[in-house]
Amino acid sequence: MSDISTTTETGLAKIEREIARRHIGKFPYLAVTWAFTNIVVWLSLWPLVMLGVIPLWAGFIIATLNIMLSYLPSHEAQHDIIAQPGSRLRWLNELVGHISTIPLLLPYRVAKLTHLEHHKHANDPNLDPDHGTQAKGPLAAIWTSIRNRQPGHENAYRGTLQRIGRADVLLDYVVYELVFYTILFTLAWTGFALEAALLWWLPRHIALTYIQFYLSWAPHHPATETGRYRNTRSFRSIVGNLGSMGMQYHIVHHLHPRIPLYRTPQAYWEMKPVLEARGARIEEL
Amino acid sequence: MIQIVQVVFRFGPLLFAFGFLAPLTAQIIKSAGWTPPFGLSSLTTGLIIGGLLGVVAQARGRWI
Repeated sequence: MSDISTTTETGLAKIEREIARRHIGKFPYLAVTWAFTNIVVWLSLWPLVMLGVIPLWAGFIIATLNIMLSYLPSHEAQHDIIAQPGSRLRWLNELVGHISTIPLLLPYRVAKLTHLEHHKHANDPNLDPDHGTQAKGPLAAIWTSIRNRQPGHENAYRGTLQRIGRADVLLDYVVYELVFYTILFTLAWTGFALEAALLWWLPRHIALTYIQFYLSWAPHHPATETGRYRNTRSFRSIVGNLGSMGMQYHIVHHLHPRIPLYRTPQAYWEMKPVLEARGARIEEL
Repeated sequence: MIQIVQVVFRFGPLLFAFGFLAPLTAQIIKSAGWTPPFGLSSLTTGLIIGGLLGVVAQARGRWI
């Protein structure tokens, strides 16, 4: 890229848009394959463990990885990255959105509506549904995530859905919860309590902590600034970009949410001088 | 229907304790080969431990 130090704000915006355009519209084969593989592997664990084909401890590790990986394909669908409304493959976008977060017990409509509100109001303490993950440091972030899931704690997503006039979508939440606990209790009282605990209940809690840590806390920390170029950042994770589920380049996602996850690193490195010139939070990378 | 659901969610910790923690504790006791004290069965022990945890969580509004 040529020297941009003398480029005007309008010029910088144009360069940024041109780079983003090169990465938008690519079909995310990875996310689609990932969504179906992940759910099939997780479902397969149940008969495989119950029939003794694989030991429960191995099932627990695989299930935990499955549920940790269950959010991102739905996230691509939430931003219509797989297929835009009205397009031929729209059904696939919605199918991926719905099925991938079933193990996480996060209904697609709830996830989509609240996530779009997060984008609109990132770091706003009153309007950002994910602002509750704010914490001083990594250990505090883990503790906050666990504390936010305690029975008496107010559910921020419920408040957001009510605020935007979509309380009807709360029904999805209720159905998911009722079905989950019915399955959990039935398994427990028919001799499969350990299997239910280690293939779903505990992996889901570990996954929720991990997802909230890397998708919400780390990329927004300290979550005090608002504005498109300041409400998120690039950062270096101790577990790398793969271990942090691609979140090191989260700033690109917030600026251009329709860039598929697998293209955000490349888009970031191409965009970096422009982002720096525009005052974005470029940190450590 | 809505009222039933509200009641179910209001007593979530207690339901979770008796619906899940009790049989889970019983299964852990059996799998580990432990013998509960006072001649209690593993299920009775599970119901006592799970029930106590559930009552405390219900009262405090949090498990931990």
